Amino acid sequence: MLVLDRASLRYGPILGLSPTSFELPEGGGITGLLGPNGAGKSSLLQLVSGLLPPSGGTVTVFGEAPFRNPSVLARIGLVPEGDRLPAGLCGDRWLGMMGELSGLSGAPLQAALARALDTVGMGDRARLPFVRMSKGMRQRMRLAQALLHEPRLLILDEPFNGLDPEARLGLMDLLRRLAAEGVRVLVSSHILSEIAQLTDRILLLFRGRLLAEGSVLEIRHLLDRHPVELRVAGEPRAVARWAVEQTELAALRLEEESVVLSVRSPRDILPRLQQAAAEGRLPVHALDPLDLNLEAVFQYLTKDHV
Amino acid sequence: MPIYEPTLPPAPDLTQGQPPSLVLMRFDLTRLWRQKIGRFFGFAFLIMLLVKLAIIYVKYLLGSNPAFEPMQDFAKAVLPQGPAFQAGLLDPAGYLLWFLVALVGGGLVARDTLYRVRPLMYAHPVRPRDYLLAKVGFASALPFVVLLPFVFLPWALSLMVAGLQGPVWPTVPLRLLPAIALMSLLMGTLAVGASALAATPRAGVGWVLGLVLGTSTLASLVHGLAGFAGAEALNPIVLAQAWPQLFVGQEAPLLGWLSALLGTAFHVVLWTYLAARRTRPSEAVI
Repeated sequence: MLVLDRASLRYGPILGLSPTSFELPEGGGITGLLGPNGAGKSSLLQLVSGLLPPSGGTVTVFGEAPFRNPSVLARIGLVPEGDRLPAGLCGDRWLGMMGELSGLSGAPLQAALARALDTVGMGDRARLPFVRMSKGMRQRMRLAQALLHEPRLLILDEPFNGLDPEARLGLMDLLRRLAAEGVRVLVSSHILSEIAQLTDRILLLFRGRLLAEGSVLEIRHLLDRHPVELRVAGEPRAVARWAVEQTELAALRLEEESVVLSVRSPRDILPRLQQAAAEGRLPVHALDPLDLNLEAVFQYLTKDHV
Repeated sequence: MPIYEPTLPPAPDLTQGQPPSLVLMRFDLTRLWRQKIGRFFGFAFLIMLLVKLAIIYVKYLLGSNPAFEPMQDFAKAVLPQGPAFQAGLLDPAGYLLWFLVALVGGGLVARDTLYRVRPLMYAHPVRPRDYLLAKVGFASALPFVVLLPFVFLPWALSLMVAGLQGPVWPTVPLRLLPAIALMSLLMGTLAVGASALAATPRAGVGWVLGLVLGTSTLASLVHGLAGFAGAEALNPIVLAQAWPQLFVGQEAPLLGWLSALLGTAFHVVLWTYLAARRTRPSEAVI
């Protein structure tokens, strides 16, 4: 569906995105585009959504270059960052214009409007002027305009910015539902917890470079330089005695009622630990991986590239 | 067992709509209609039009009714005659029309800049040239539509009351239509170019008025100081006044054909180029 082959983007002398390559497969699913401010997320989204041509390399969406290509743009829905909409304008009028710009008219346009508004839960409030809508409602309207032409690829740039927790959860549910219906969702954020709640498939950008791609666990397993930390709650001395005999152990830290083990290959050591606990040789109450989450992966990757 | 493709809802037909330029122009027209600024301008232009029609009727009476014969010399001294009278039909193309174009055209691009609508438009199958065409088309169509009654109603009244010998030449529409087309293009491109430089609609109005008055002042200064009359070709107000004079063949028009042509081409190319640069997708980044 989406292929970047050494695609880069320059703004004059500034390199917004270094040569980047990755693929997103056909079919539904959510991919998180993660990175701090200035990492190149918006640059990448501009390339993918056809707003800008790549300075180098190629970008292919649905088999074609998206830049100024109506046949590709007709299958992409974009929700840009920001919350500014023409204040005095009514939502349904604005949405109608966006539908017409996508090539809809007459009865199909009305059907598309009703369907998109129903999807985002704004069917009964679309006639309000934007100035009287809450931030969450405006975000839903922006999403509705991207869904009018039933895109197969939905791109959202920082969609959760400024939303309250309830609106945020509602939007996440909506994106999951769209993904389940077969829409490929590409969502950018610099908030780790947002992406972690939404998906575990990530593209991690940092300083204009794509650092990692895949699921959080896949990426974590590739980070050999950083042993996985496991907190084992139980009898600390007994666990420590067992652990020092394991070849995968890199470091060990005793705490009051637990031990933190740094292990190089958790996939090998965990079955043995499980077996020892099951046989009663190891008094273990709980096992808690400390750095198998997105935040840890993000920190390790960005530290390595500073 | 064969594997079938997943069943998806039928994709909507995206080929039935109007061209994007037309959709955008229609949307701007709807917005203008709801802003209701047309009431003031409609009233003002209507008064001007009624005065024009009254003058034509008076001229007809002066020429056809012996009772008014003693007043003919006075009327000739007061009212413009011949080609100057024909060109004068478009007098409203003065400051009021420029003001209308500034008020409406100044916000056309700036409003989309303020609300960051262009990235959304360009993410739909809208090309930058569709956008530019819509904005320039709308800004140019507005003065064209306003000026049309000033050509056709005096012409029709003159034909009705006096036939081919009336005060308005029978060929006036053929002469003035190209003139108002050029005037409208000049006004439209200048307004859109100025609006593209602004960040808010109000600033856009200021940019249009500033550019019109600024270039006029500059041209007058150069003309006055250097004695170079051709500098007036930079003055958009003079250009707008000169085209009707040239097309009706008025003696001693404000500008010659070449000056008017070069000046108009300069403004149209410059402001269209600026508007195109400022509305590129790279300027409308997410």
